Amino acid sequence: MITIEHLTYTYPATSRPALQDLSLHIPAGQFCAIVGANGAGKSTLCYALTGFVPHFYRGRMEGRLQVAGHDIAVTPPSALVGLVGLVFANPFNQITGACYTVREEVAFGLENLGVPPAAMEQRIAQALALTGLTDLADRSPFALSGGQQQRLALAAVLAMQPRVLVLDEPTSQLDPVGTREVFAILAALAAQQDTTVVLVSHALEWVATHADRVIVLMAGRLVADGPPTEVLTRPELESWGVGTTRYTQAARRAQAQGLVPPGRPLPVTLSQAVAFWS
Amino acid sequence: MALSLYLPRARGLHRLHPLTKLWLALFLFICGLALPGVLGAYAAFVALVVPLALWGAVLRPLLVAAGRVVLPFAVSLVLVQGLFWPRGTPLFGWGPLSFKLEGLLFAVRSTGRILMVVSSFLLFALTTRPDALALTLAQRGVPKSLTYILVATLQIIPRFQARAATILAAQQSRGLEIHGNLRRRVRALLPLIAPLVLGSLVDIEERAIALESRGFSRQGPKTSLLVLPDTRGQALARRLLAVASLAVVVMRLWVG
Amino acid sequence: MNIVVTDVTFRYPNGVQALSGVNLAIAGGEAVAVIGENGAGKTTLARHLNGLLRPQQGRVRIGDWDTREHTVAQLAHRVGYVFQNPDDQLFERTVRRELAFGPRNLGRDEAAIEAAVAQALARLDLEAVADSHPYDLSPAQRRLVALAAVLAMETPIVVLDEPTTGQDAAGTALLGRVIADLKAAGRTVITISHDIDFVAEHFPRLIVMAAGRILADGPTEWVLAQTGLLAQAQVDPPQLVRLAVALGLPGVPTTVDAFLDLWVRTRQRDGAEWPGGV
Repeated sequence: MITIEHLTYTYPATSRPALQDLSLHIPAGQFCAIVGANGAGKSTLCYALTGFVPHFYRGRMEGRLQVAGHDIAVTPPSALVGLVGLVFANPFNQITGACYTVREEVAFGLENLGVPPAAMEQRIAQALALTGLTDLADRSPFALSGGQQQRLALAAVLAMQPRVLVLDEPTSQLDPVGTREVFAILAALAAQQDTTVVLVSHALEWVATHADRVIVLMAGRLVADGPPTEVLTRPELESWGVGTTRYTQAARRAQAQGLVPPGRPLPVTLSQAVAFWS
Repeated sequence: MALSLYLPRARGLHRLHPLTKLWLALFLFICGLALPGVLGAYAAFVALVVPLALWGAVLRPLLVAAGRVVLPFAVSLVLVQGLFWPRGTPLFGWGPLSFKLEGLLFAVRSTGRILMVVSSFLLFALTTRPDALALTLAQRGVPKSLTYILVATLQIIPRFQARAATILAAQQSRGLEIHGNLRRRVRALLPLIAPLVLGSLVDIEERAIALESRGFSRQGPKTSLLVLPDTRGQALARRLLAVASLAVVVMRLWVG
Repeated sequence: MNIVVTDVTFRYPNGVQALSGVNLAIAGGEAVAVIGENGAGKTTLARHLNGLLRPQQGRVRIGDWDTREHTVAQLAHRVGYVFQNPDDQLFERTVRRELAFGPRNLGRDEAAIEAAVAQALARLDLEAVADSHPYDLSPAQRRLVALAAVLAMETPIVVLDEPTTGQDAAGTALLGRVIADLKAAGRTVITISHDIDFVAEHFPRLIVMAAGRILADGPTEWVLAQTGLLAQAQVDPPQLVRLAVALGLPGVPTTVDAFLDLWVRTRQRDGAEWPGGV
């Protein structure tokens, strides 16, 4: 579904490439998480997958990037609508402002795609149900909480039934309630496995529970790629600027101090930690 | 939280197609300006605007809003024209100042016109949702980028205002004193305006990306969830209104 | 410098009752975190501390000043408030000038301003970008600039509104060090935060708010032990506390070391076989 070959991209008027010699293949239906320090290139990768890099931001791109059969170098974002969906961190900035109700907000993309009204109604109902917004369908998008607005952004994108969904830190500006709501929807998507999902997030415990695969970026390069429990417990994480859960930290220190038998795999989640310490 | 005057109603004037309401407003506007006599505009207001406003169940809001705009004009017109009309017939006064009849009549006539202009706009705005208007325009070939600006501006300005208030709070929290002499207030302007502008640029970029990824600039046929019912009766009515407007103008020019 | 909040009640113009009979006393040099879900009144309370909001009933005293008798700009001499969105503050051409804005408003002389700016730049690792335009920096770095700008004011009391939003592991660690520095310098630090793991690790006192009232106010371990109350306030416990509960350990560990201590003590108490450390 996504094939990246030796991708190097530099924003205009900068000298250091934001992405360097990146090669990656994400098969259809996979749930792939991207972690890394701020400035590592995660957002740039999200924009590259949706065509904003290079078509919106200009700059210099080398290498090849193919998403859902399209070569990004020659495919602008408008041609990817309906194939690739993007959700980013700020819920308010994803409200179009052109719509007076939640229902119409979800319809916005479908109208631009020329979907016939009967099909639109059905897709909107589905998207609202999936994101738990059915009761809020007639409310103004501006009268929603941050978490609700983010769910609305998700609904609006999911209604377009994209093959690939790209999420750039979808919960970093939400409170715990909103974060829980958004991740519940993503968990459902992960379970369905018919959409390819690329998620940038610092929520390591959640990623470890639901993602199929974790990729670590540092200074524009891919430095690790593998199953979550393996990648999120690697000792180099700190030097890569990536954190670890408290569960991993406690377990690693316990091993170093000889408090537990050696050789146990380090935990990332609560349930793994319980198993580790028992 | 949007900035529009629109008041939702289930029946009545609201259910007309936006174009019909637009032609109605235009007709009222022309009547207001072109009908002769001191009281011509008032006659049109009572005979046309009031019944329409009743039909739309917006009479009270219309009177309140119109009053807010028209009254200040009325007061200043009466004072200025009444007192300073050159070589007029004095009605009453004291000392060197006196109210002239011609001046008062002029003020009354002008107020009537302002009332009709304002009311025709208000009648339209109170009964038409901005996105319905935007869709009407888009269906008639106005580019979606322009109709978007129409609607989005109304919805986003209150947020802008809220942000300005937050910036004021933030800068005061850094010791910026906003009370005091004029010089101090002028110097306070940059720390208040710059974050608003710069921060908005960031927001605008993100919103542009969001719009783009929802197909805003995509070529090809577009559909609409919102349906604007139109009838042949209304289409005929619009044509009649156009003719009537023209007739009023012609009559006014002919009568002089 | 003490903070005393007495019987404060506040209702917003739109009728929302945000604070009901809140009483609070914070001594100089304390580090306090205020937690609770959105709408609980945390921000409303914080805004009373620097005069942005005035109580409709009750009183707020900062030292010997009643907030109703002073402007916000005057109270800025005593309380530095870091807003959540850095873009609401930043306006100068360079980071350096931005940091000088606050102290200059407070009437410090040029030498003192330069020293304060230099120290704030050093504390937040911003020396490398001191002459950059703030809007050329990433959003996370702009947050650090906004924080530095308030630190440069050198106020005895500092209020931080959701400081860890959007920060990566390095940024969060930096914030932890900043808070430790402030504590060491005897400054009062008050934070509003949903990041319960961060708060548990760095703040010895916790205030839990819900529906405009204070539900609990005391030492962090004591507050976190009250699971029913936390559930009522919609607050999830920190990772290590959850782990301790899941393992049946009798304690409330707020740091990795505290957890390991607890583990070792419990095992010793229970006479476990693995003695730990050979």
